[in-house]
Amino acid sequence: MSNRKKIIYGLIILVNISPYLYSFYDFEKVHFNIDNMIGFYPIYGFISCLGLIIIAKMFAVFFKKEDTYYDD
Amino acid sequence: MMINVLSHPAVPLVLGSLLIFLIRSKSNLLSFISLTLSIIVLLFIMPHENAFYIEKGIQINYFAYSKLSFLFCLVFLIIGIIGKIFSIYRDSYKEKAMILLYIASAIFVIFSGDFITLYIFWEIMAITSTFIIWSSNSDDSSAAGQRYLIMHLFGGLILLLGIIGLYLNTNDLQIRMLSLDNWYTWSILIGLLLNAGAPPFSQWLPDAYPEGSYSSTVFLSAYTTKTSVFVLISTFAGNHILIAIGIYMIIYGIIYALLENDIRRILSYSIVNQVGFMIVGIGIGTELSINGTAAHAFAHILYKGLLLMSAGSVLYMINKRKCTDVGGLYKVMPITAICGIIGALAISAFPLTSGFISKSMIVDASYREGLEFVWLMLLVGSAGVFLHAGIKFPWFVFFHNDKKIKTEDPPFFMKTAMIIMSFLCIIIGIIPESLYTLLPYKIDFIPYTGNHIISQLHLLLFSGLAFFVSLKYLERTLTITLDFDWFYRNKIKYIYAITNFMSRISSNLMKMIVLNNIKNRFNVLESYLMKQFTISTMLTLILITFSIVLLFNIS
Repeated sequence: MSNRKKIIYGLIILVNISPYLYSFYDFEKVHFNIDNMIGFYPIYGFISCLGLIIIAKMFAVFFKKEDTYYDD
Repeated sequence: MMINVLSHPAVPLVLGSLLIFLIRSKSNLLSFISLTLSIIVLLFIMPHENAFYIEKGIQINYFAYSKLSFLFCLVFLIIGIIGKIFSIYRDSYKEKAMILLYIASAIFVIFSGDFITLYIFWEIMAITSTFIIWSSNSDDSSAAGQRYLIMHLFGGLILLLGIIGLYLNTNDLQIRMLSLDNWYTWSILIGLLLNAGAPPFSQWLPDAYPEGSYSSTVFLSAYTTKTSVFVLISTFAGNHILIAIGIYMIIYGIIYALLENDIRRILSYSIVNQVGFMIVGIGIGTELSINGTAAHAFAHILYKGLLLMSAGSVLYMINKRKCTDVGGLYKVMPITAICGIIGALAISAFPLTSGFISKSMIVDASYREGLEFVWLMLLVGSAGVFLHAGIKFPWFVFFHNDKKIKTEDPPFFMKTAMIIMSFLCIIIGIIPESLYTLLPYKIDFIPYTGNHIISQLHLLLFSGLAFFVSLKYLERTLTITLDFDWFYRNKIKYIYAITNFMSRISSNLMKMIVLNNIKNRFNVLESYLMKQFTISTMLTLILITFSIVLLFNIS
């Protein structure tokens, strides 16, 4: 099994465990209304990272150049 | 009052660097002696009061003690001494001397109580760090060092302008809280922020730092930006504009690091990102957020040093600096890989590491102030840090495609330095009180609550999931990403072309209008004279003129 597969399987297990972590989570001490929601942190973390990657890819369309761009 | 000059912690470093320079010593003994002396002075000899003298009506406050400056000085010396252990195999005496002088000038800045002392050592810091970049002796480093120096001298001039304005308007140069209602306070703020790597000039940092030698980048990463953070804490804490600037830096660092291929440049972008967190902390300006900023600076210097050490070890052993050239190194460099991963976990604020106990203070400070948008952006930042530094760096360097590179772990002292740093990162994470007692304000904050740990773990794990889901789109390519520096890099040929064009036009015009005209007139005059007078008449005319002048003078 390649490294990548091992890590992906590991992550799938973690994703499945993560809801049980909520037994340690105190909903009395939440900050704003938004993190009162179950699954706020996982969903927010996942979506914001995908968003960052998409923004980076959009940047790449315009600003990515060969790494010899400045040497002439 | 005055204090004994030997009780300033920077003085042993200055003496040590002068001695190294004079005797061209290639051994590391002098560096270690002066750094140890400096730590002894800091811990036992240094007075806990202010010292100043008055020169021409200006109070020169050359030594101002505070708990915050003690904290920064301590971490500066810790990274100095561990970085020296790491760079023990490097034998350039110029680099050794300049590093000591660089550390000394940074310490002078954080102990300065007035803007004149601050400005002088600010500039010395810029110059010594340029020499450190140049000491790696490559063409790239020479060009990058020049750009770095120009940028910092420019920032220094803006700062100086602000200081002059401050003196002319208030007649007081003490470092104190300034309000942003004048041109000169804005000028000071811009000068300070430029050193912190703020937009739009963030590019100098990832441009210059990776060009240093394998060991000197460890030192470069620690001092310039953090002195700037220190001065911002004592001048502009609580200005909400800093929150916006900090959030910009956080996102900027992540996006550019995601697109970057050079290993140490990825880590440099993440310096911008981490300093962004500190700037947000300064902008919030409550006691908790200032504590968080100071703690984060302390933790950041250590884990960033560790990350750059493991990247430096890769560079030292196989002389490769791009993600596309390395991969699968965990088999041949296990200690480097483990230390690098500890550093990566610490920077992503994983529980039980130093980043967790410091960054959560800044994040908590934002919600205690009720700044919901800032809090949400800081969460994006926390997830993004894991994305670009926490996983991307170790994954592409130590795992990913195995390139079957034959090498081994770096020599003994480099390993030792990395292991000490890893221990520090973990000890601070496990015993947060060790760092919390050093913080400037009294602290009522418990990092290890169920909510903190669960929310942070959730954020990080799902950020990791996002990384592996989109791994196909994050494959490294041999590219760079353009930045604001496009406006001034390699523009000399255009400037040359423009000046050429302008000079051609102007010379043509000159010829057409002025020169030809004058030339014609002169020709006319000449030919007229030549036709009308023989030489003898001309001589007589001249003699007559002379005699008239003489006559007038005699009378």
